[in-house]
Amino acid sequence: MAKGPDTATRARRLLALLPHLRRNETIPLARLAAAVGCTPAEVAADLTTLTMCGVPPFTPFDMIDLLIEGDSVTVNLEAPGIERPLRLTIAEARALGAALDAAGFAPRSALRQKLLAVAADSVSTDELERTVRAGAAPGGIADLYATLAAAADEHEKVLITYFTGSTGRTSQRVVHPWALVNRLGTWYLIALCEGVGEERVFRLDRIRDALGTGEPFTPPTMVEYAVTPGPEHLPVAEIRFAPDAVLPDTRSWPGVVFETLGDGSTIARMPYQTVSWIARRVTARLGEAEALGPAEVRDAVRTLAETLLRTLG
Amino acid sequence: MSDAAERLVNLALYLASSRVPVTANECRSAGLGYPDEQDDATFLRMFERDKDALRAAGLVITVDRDDEAESYRIDAAATFARPVELAPDELAAVRAVAAALSADPGFPFTDDLALALGKLGTAGVAGPLATADLPDDTGDAQSHHARTIAEAVQTRKTLTFGYTNTAGEQKQHTVDPYGVFFREGNWYLIGCDRDLDAVRTYAIGRVAALGVNAGRPRTPDFERPADFDVTRHERLPFEYGLEQVAAQVRFEPDVAWRAERLARGRGTLRELADGSALWDVEAGDLERLATWIIDEGPAIHAVGPPELVYILETGLRAVADAHG
Repeated sequence: MAKGPDTATRARRLLALLPHLRRNETIPLARLAAAVGCTPAEVAADLTTLTMCGVPPFTPFDMIDLLIEGDSVTVNLEAPGIERPLRLTIAEARALGAALDAAGFAPRSALRQKLLAVAADSVSTDELERTVRAGAAPGGIADLYATLAAAADEHEKVLITYFTGSTGRTSQRVVHPWALVNRLGTWYLIALCEGVGEERVFRLDRIRDALGTGEPFTPPTMVEYAVTPGPEHLPVAEIRFAPDAVLPDTRSWPGVVFETLGDGSTIARMPYQTVSWIARRVTARLGEAEALGPAEVRDAVRTLAETLLRTLG
Repeated sequence: MSDAAERLVNLALYLASSRVPVTANECRSAGLGYPDEQDDATFLRMFERDKDALRAAGLVITVDRDDEAESYRIDAAATFARPVELAPDELAAVRAVAAALSADPGFPFTDDLALALGKLGTAGVAGPLATADLPDDTGDAQSHHARTIAEAVQTRKTLTFGYTNTAGEQKQHTVDPYGVFFREGNWYLIGCDRDLDAVRTYAIGRVAALGVNAGRPRTPDFERPADFDVTRHERLPFEYGLEQVAAQVRFEPDVAWRAERLARGRGTLRELADGSALWDVEAGDLERLATWIIDEGPAIHAVGPPELVYILETGLRAVADAHG
C-alpha cells in the first residue's frame, strides 16, 4: 500500500485548501484536487477532515461546514481566519523558481519576479537563484515558450521561423501548436505543419521567433508526446569506435546499442531519423568513430568532413 | 481524540482568528485536540512541533514575551499573499510548465510546486497540453536525492554519500553542499569536499547511500562562500579542464541569433560588421570544443586558438580518409 504524506505535509495541503472553499459555492472535487496537487479521492478525505475543524468553542457555527456529494463539495460555512492564500514557503518558492527555470524564465524575468513577490519575507529569492538552477541560462526561450503556450491554449495558429539543424536552412512555417514536451531538459513543440500537412516536432531552441496569426485551428483528439519515432521504425547505422574512444551516452545517442569486440573496439548500432543527423554525430567524433554502413551514411560523413575542411581552408 | 492534522488546522485557525495573542496554555485548553492526559513537558514539545509545522506551511507566527508567559499570534501581513495578476501568455506559460513538471517524477519538487501553484491560484484550470521527462532512467532516485540535497543546501547541513566516478571508482565523500543544478537529464551537486578541502561537482545520479547530518538540525554546519553562484559552475561540456584557454567561435550571419542561446551566458558575444556573431569563451578542453562546434553546426566555425583549428583539421582529415 502506498504510504500517505506525513502529518505536516498533509496539514500544508489542508491549509492550502482553505482559501479555495468559498461560502455557498459548489466546487468540483477534481478542481480542488488539481489546485493542491492530489487526487480527488485524497481531496475528499481532506475535506472530511476539515469538517472536524474549527475554532473554540466548536459550536456548529464555529466549524467548517461542508457537504460532499458525489464529485463535488458545497461550502456552507468557510474557515474562520484563513480566507486568503498563504505566502510561499521557501520550499514552494524553490519549486516555483526551478519550474520557471526549466521553461527558460531567468531570475530577473518579469514573470518570475511577479510570482516570487508573494514569497514569505523570510525567503531570500536571491539566495535561491544562486543555489538552485533547473534549466536554460540567459538568452533562453522564455518569450517563445509563453507565446507558444498561449497559442496552444487558445488553439491559435502560429507563424514560426525555424532553423533545421540537419540542413542548416531557416524557413517560415505556419503550425498548429498542439503540445509542449520536455525531454531531458530540452523543450520541443509538437505541431501540425500546414506546409507539409503532417505532424512535426520542433526544438524550441531552434525556433527563432513565433507570432500568433489570429487564425484558429481545431485541435486533434489525441496527441502523441513522442519527440522521435520508435527505433523499430528507423534505419540503423553501424558505427565502429576505436578501442580508446569515449563512447557516447544514450542521452545524446538515443536508442544506441553497443557491442564490444575482441580487439577492444566497440560497434554501436544507432537508429537514425536523417542521414545528415547521424553523419554530423559521427563526424564530430573527429576520427574516433567510423560509419561502417549503410553506404548513404558513410558517404554523408565523408562529404560533411570534406565540406568542413574546406571552410577551415 | 482528533488526528494530528486536524489539531494543526485547529491551531492555525485559532491563531488566525484570535483578536489577541494567545498563550500555549490557552491553546492547550481550547479544545484544539491536545490530549488531556498529557504532562506539561510532552505538551510543550508537541506544541513546538506544531508551530514548526505551521511555519513550514507558511504561517508567520510571532511571539510576544512578558514576565509571565509567551503568547503567539499570526502576523497577517507577513502570512497572507496578495493576488497575482498575470497576462494571458504568462498564465499559459505557468500552466504549461506546471502541467509538464508536476506529473514528472524526475522533477524533484512536484509536491511543493503543486502547493505553490495552489496558493497562486494558477492551478486547477486546464491549460495547454504539456509533458516532461527530465532525467533519464535514473530519474526517480536522482529526483529523490536532488530534493534531499536541495533541502540540505538551504539548511546548510553536511552530506555523506558514496560516489562512483566516470572511471567506475567508488569512494565515500563528506560534502558541504553549496548548490544544485540541472543539465541535459542530470542533476548536479556543487559542494566543498571536506577531505579534499576543494569545491567539486558531483553527478547526483552517481550518488548512493546519501545521508544528511542529523545533529543539531536547527544549526547550519557550514558557511557558504558569500559570492557563491551556481551559474558559474553550470558549465558547457568543453569548459571542464585543468588549463583554461581563450577560444573564439564565429556564427555566420544567418545563425548569429543562435549564438546567445547556445552560449548560455558563458563568455562574451559581439556582433561583427557582416552580421556574424563572435564568441569569446574559455575552454578547458579544446577537443570537446571542436566536437561541440560540429555538433551544433552547421554555420559555426572555429576562429582560434590555432590549436583548436589544428584539432579540427587533423580530425576532419582522419574522418574523410576513414570514409574515403
